[in-house]
Amino acid sequence: MASITNSTDHGHGHGHDSALHHQFENISQQNESYIVGMWVFLSTEVMFFGALFFIYTLYRWNYQLDFYIAHEHLDVTKGAINTTVLLFSSFTMVMAVQSAQLKRRMHVISYLLVTMACAFVFLGIKYFEYSSKIADHLYPGAGFATDGRAAFGEHAMEAGKLAVNMNHAQLFYGLYFGMTGLHAVHIIAGILVIGALIRLWVNECKTVTLDYVATEMVGLYWHFVDLVWIFLFPLFYLMPKPH
Amino acid sequence: MASNTSHSHEHHIVSTGTYFLTLIALVVLMILTVAIAGVNLPGIGPFSGTVVNQTIALVIAIVKAMLVITIFMGVKWSTTLTKIWVISGFACLTLLFGIMGDYVTRHYEYQPGWEKQTEGALPRGTPNEPEIPPANANNLNVKIRH
Amino acid sequence: MSSTVNPIGEQRSKTKTEEVNYLNIENTISSWLLTGDHKRIALLYLVSTSFFFFLGSIAAGLIRYELTSPAGVVLESDTYNKVFTSHGVIMVFTFLVVAIPAIFGNFLIPLMIGARDLAFPRLNLGSWYMYMTGGTLILAGMIFGGVDTGWTFYTPYSSMYSNTQVSLVLVGIFIAGFSTITTGINFVVTIHKMRAPGMTWFRLPLFVWAMYATSLMMILATPVVAITLLLVVFERTFKLPIFSPELGGDPVLFQHLFWFYSHPAVYIMILPAFAVISELIANFSRKRVFGYHFVAFSSLAIAGLGFLVWGHHMFVTSQSMYESIVFSLISILVAIPSAIKIFNWMATMYKGNIRLQSPMIYAIAFLMIFTIGGLTGLFLGLAGTDIHLTATYFVVAHFHYVMVGGTMLAYLGALHFWWPKMTGRLYSEGIAKVNAVIVFIGFNLTFFPQFIVGWLGMPRRYHYYYFAPEFQAYHIMSTLGSSVLGLGLIIPAFYLTMSLFNGPKAGDNPWDAHGLEWETTSPPPTTNFLVTPIVLDEVYDFDPEAEHAADMKALEDAQNEHPKRHGKAGPEDLN
Repeated sequence: MASITNSTDHGHGHGHDSALHHQFENISQQNESYIVGMWVFLSTEVMFFGALFFIYTLYRWNYQLDFYIAHEHLDVTKGAINTTVLLFSSFTMVMAVQSAQLKRRMHVISYLLVTMACAFVFLGIKYFEYSSKIADHLYPGAGFATDGRAAFGEHAMEAGKLAVNMNHAQLFYGLYFGMTGLHAVHIIAGILVIGALIRLWVNECKTVTLDYVATEMVGLYWHFVDLVWIFLFPLFYLMPKPH
Repeated sequence: MASNTSHSHEHHIVSTGTYFLTLIALVVLMILTVAIAGVNLPGIGPFSGTVVNQTIALVIAIVKAMLVITIFMGVKWSTTLTKIWVISGFACLTLLFGIMGDYVTRHYEYQPGWEKQTEGALPRGTPNEPEIPPANANNLNVKIRH
Repeated sequence: MSSTVNPIGEQRSKTKTEEVNYLNIENTISSWLLTGDHKRIALLYLVSTSFFFFLGSIAAGLIRYELTSPAGVVLESDTYNKVFTSHGVIMVFTFLVVAIPAIFGNFLIPLMIGARDLAFPRLNLGSWYMYMTGGTLILAGMIFGGVDTGWTFYTPYSSMYSNTQVSLVLVGIFIAGFSTITTGINFVVTIHKMRAPGMTWFRLPLFVWAMYATSLMMILATPVVAITLLLVVFERTFKLPIFSPELGGDPVLFQHLFWFYSHPAVYIMILPAFAVISELIANFSRKRVFGYHFVAFSSLAIAGLGFLVWGHHMFVTSQSMYESIVFSLISILVAIPSAIKIFNWMATMYKGNIRLQSPMIYAIAFLMIFTIGGLTGLFLGLAGTDIHLTATYFVVAHFHYVMVGGTMLAYLGALHFWWPKMTGRLYSEGIAKVNAVIVFIGFNLTFFPQFIVGWLGMPRRYHYYYFAPEFQAYHIMSTLGSSVLGLGLIIPAFYLTMSLFNGPKAGDNPWDAHGLEWETTSPPPTTNFLVTPIVLDEVYDFDPEAEHAADMKALEDAQNEHPKRHGKAGPEDLN
């Protein structure tokens, strides 16, 4: 019989005892478990959005011109502003994580509040974008615009004839609302999670103050939301003209 | 339970400067991709200008994504296990794009005619559904009971 | 046992008076519904999956009864469609995908690797609630009108035409899918990070290897079907055109995405069965698993290849013929890792000290049935023969041989093998052995005639077959078999439940098995091990020759009292 590792007095050299859950040996093991677990979850998110990106690729490849004309209704300026807002929110998020590592509580809270504000700004701009589509009947369904010229202006005309198939344009807007909509759902989920995190920080809850990994995990999620938008933006707003 | 004793990632605190530079780089890349999208680039060899434009936009997006993943998400300072899982998600996504192999090797085009109503099966929500036609002569729709 | 060092036995002898284990530590309802203990969650899963399995079996019985006559017996055609869809949806999404990982994986992985719990206990409990929510929504869909699309939900029928509760059921499957994903995340992190000191990858039981491969597929494939089914819901409710052919979308794209998940899902169902069989064969042959590394890596190879063969479900769609050829080729490759497993198990049994107890009978039945199921899979993987056999009862028989004969038999084997560990009680081994044989006979009687009738041309999902009344004999045979099979599923419910009340105490290791889970008490304490075990050797350190010699000696010694026994040590011998 060799020596026995007694699980209760092993590897607690960090002063983190109350942040450590019973199933783990030490805080290092626990933190890496959480981070790996978060990344495994994010890989499922990659596949989740990946299937949508695949559908987009297929239809775009098949209906290049129709998609190009349909995308002309999207507002690049609003898209670019939204991209900047999200990139900036990623930066504030990462600063919140850094402050959590340095245990600067007020910094964490203010950075998280800025991140949350950015998320609301993003959703606000999204609201104006969606309203302009809905005003022009560019939402999928029986009421979808049938007059390509009225919807897309002179872009839709080529040599005096309508160059866009409105069915395929509807396909484009189906994907647009589907993908940006699911992204917006992720933003809303992010707002809820960040809100919960702020509440924990304000209440000085030990799960977040003793160990930065909770903040880090929310951060990973938020960066992933940013990551999706980094691809959505060029694919929907910046289509080159087929020629 | 203590089999993995890697402590390398623990509390690696990155400086504010690094994060801020990353943000600047991301915004610059974003402006670059918008600027390039406005120009119709010439084709290179067998690839048309559209492909060139789109490729550049995607390459910039991938570079931006790499910046976010490595620096903001801290993968640069993380353990090998984390890195493996970061890669595996995206690697599996390339398998999904293997579905494209079907569409590039067959004829896929828009087939008109689906808008028309077929007999018997009507799309949901079709107003004024016509009466179901009576059972046809060869009895294949008739229910036999004994 | 030499593999580990663990003085639990010594500790127990000091405090033998009142054993506190995970079952009796608390008795309130909230202590079960809010538990973080992986063992209790496993039991929650056991109860709930059994419930869904029961419902799915009723649907199966209705189908079989209806097919005894070429003109149908009790059901309308429309109801028949809904019944076979219910059977498929309930069995696939709430039983087969979930059962072995969520019950036995949950219960055993921490025990086998020497951890106190899974990495994320609250997530584990959350996954059970997600599963229950999903299952409830699926059931609600069945109650409020049912679904008539078949479990595959092919568009455009499901998105444009079907007037049934497709959306409700799809949302249920979506939520249940996330329960699978979270279970997978938990397993992966646990296996990576929570192994006991000395428990290296190649000392892990093969069960854990196969569970790891299963988790990989759960994590990477399930989100694809989740989003695909969600898009069908969106198409139905918001008219979001994705697969709509009238707008230029491609309904075949749905099949691509669906099978990109659902083919790996087939391996999500069968790999846990492999996991169980490896343990059963090694233990009841009293021998080290032949070619441990090959069996371990063949699990990963199956997981990898599983992602590359989805197109073999689509040979008769508009899929390009070049792609069909490629998929046909890769599908044949899957035979290699599967055969490695089968041959290695047989090599393990060869010259082993085989003990024919009920879990082993299930394992041997599995070997036979899975071999038939696997070989007929080759018929279907070849694009040429598949065109003849697609959508016939040959396909139905094939996947029931793999899923029911494979997964369900392994499930029953696992239930019998680990029942003493889970509950601390022994069931009646005699009835269990007889029951295993009943299940084997009933299963083959049910599904073998379906191969023949399918080959002759009986289409699947057909209500009537009066175009070919000569098929009736096969269908009646199949229905008879299903009654026997049903009996074989009802009997264990009784004797296992009985054992809870009057079964003899199992002791820590009634099978004389090796592995960390047998080193702790039965039932284990909430923290699994009173002290963290240290692993010094691989798990299958059986010594068949020494055991054989010991058995022979015991046989000689006990010749007068037990003249008919041949050295089979069973639970009854140890108590």
